[in-house]
Amino acid sequence: MRCGRAQKLLTAAVDGELSPGRRAALDRHLAGCPVCRAERAATQSVLDALDALPMVAAVPAALEQATLRRVRVLAAEEAERTARSGWRAWLPLPALAVTAVLVLAIAITRTADDRIPTSGARSPERIARAHPAQSHPNSAVAVAPPAEPPPALAAAPELFVDLPMLRNLDKVKHFEAIRTTTLDDETPSGEEAPSNG
Amino acid sequence: MPEGVAADPDVALMLRVQAGDHDAFQELFRKLSPRVLQYTRRFVGSEAQAEEVTQDVFVQVFRFRHRYKPQSRLTTWIFTIATNLCLNELRRPERHLRVDIWDRRDDDDRREGPQLPDPDAVTAEEGAATRQLARRLEEAVGALPPKQRAALLLSRIDGLAYRDVADALGCTEGAVKALLFRATQTLKKSLHEFLPKED
Repeated sequence: MRCGRAQKLLTAAVDGELSPGRRAALDRHLAGCPVCRAERAATQSVLDALDALPMVAAVPAALEQATLRRVRVLAAEEAERTARSGWRAWLPLPALAVTAVLVLAIAITRTADDRIPTSGARSPERIARAHPAQSHPNSAVAVAPPAEPPPALAAAPELFVDLPMLRNLDKVKHFEAIRTTTLDDETPSGEEAPSNG
Repeated sequence: MPEGVAADPDVALMLRVQAGDHDAFQELFRKLSPRVLQYTRRFVGSEAQAEEVTQDVFVQVFRFRHRYKPQSRLTTWIFTIATNLCLNELRRPERHLRVDIWDRRDDDDRREGPQLPDPDAVTAEEGAATRQLARRLEEAVGALPPKQRAALLLSRIDGLAYRDVADALGCTEGAVKALLFRATQTLKKSLHEFLPKED
């Protein structure tokens, strides 16, 4: 065994924490090594000095009182929790049953309201709830005209003017007269008045 | 329950606490708090903080009393709690603002604030050198890295084997041996003037 290894074992050796095999190997090394023997003596002295230090301290009465007070509070809290948890043990089944019945009743009532028209007038609030866009006075959908034509018409403006009546408008005799006549106008000379027959 | 543990009077006390006996808790506190307080003093180095931590240790012992299984010694369980709380305390950032008893100098006996128990009370007949050694030793222990300090202090609690120390620190026995080796090497350097010279 080398000195470095031997010295690492000295504390455990002094404390009696070495296995018999290691202890024997260390003892053989110490027998022939004065440096390690001195180290062993120093280790022994340090540990003896540590063991000679007082291992107990006087506990102030205030410390005991404060600790016991905290423990009493803790015990009271535990007792309260235990009592509450006793109630909870009985609570779940009836509570769940009551909750389930209530939820079912509300659901059935609401479904019936929505399906069957009532004899009375529907309230404005319910109408507003059902059709918010129609009922809201400021609704953009209900009031404002469309800002733009639908994209299909915007892409084909001829759809606006290609109606047969408009296309043949210039063929209609007396078109100008029809357009501008009033009941007081006289038929111009040399021209036939339009007839229905 | 292991035979040695069954015979442990502390375990019997704890079983009474678990059964809801509040007098047993007070008895337990009175029996073990002097050791726990001394341990936390050495660990955190501040009297006020040591008292706070000790209070927290026993509150935790009560809060988690049903988690204690009498397969192991009660002191191992309680000092595991104490070690964890001390390590937490050392990690708290505001701790650096507090007075630290390890800041004391040899010539500073009149400084106000927390003091360690007077070594004279135990070693009066052993002379000034021994008193000085005790003080230097306390300071050196306080200067150790927290994990080494924990291993060293736990290993000095009576009857706590390296296996128990490893359990308390959540590491292997080999790691405990390494921590103790480094800790004693540091202490030997700090105290070399008090130690026996080579042959």
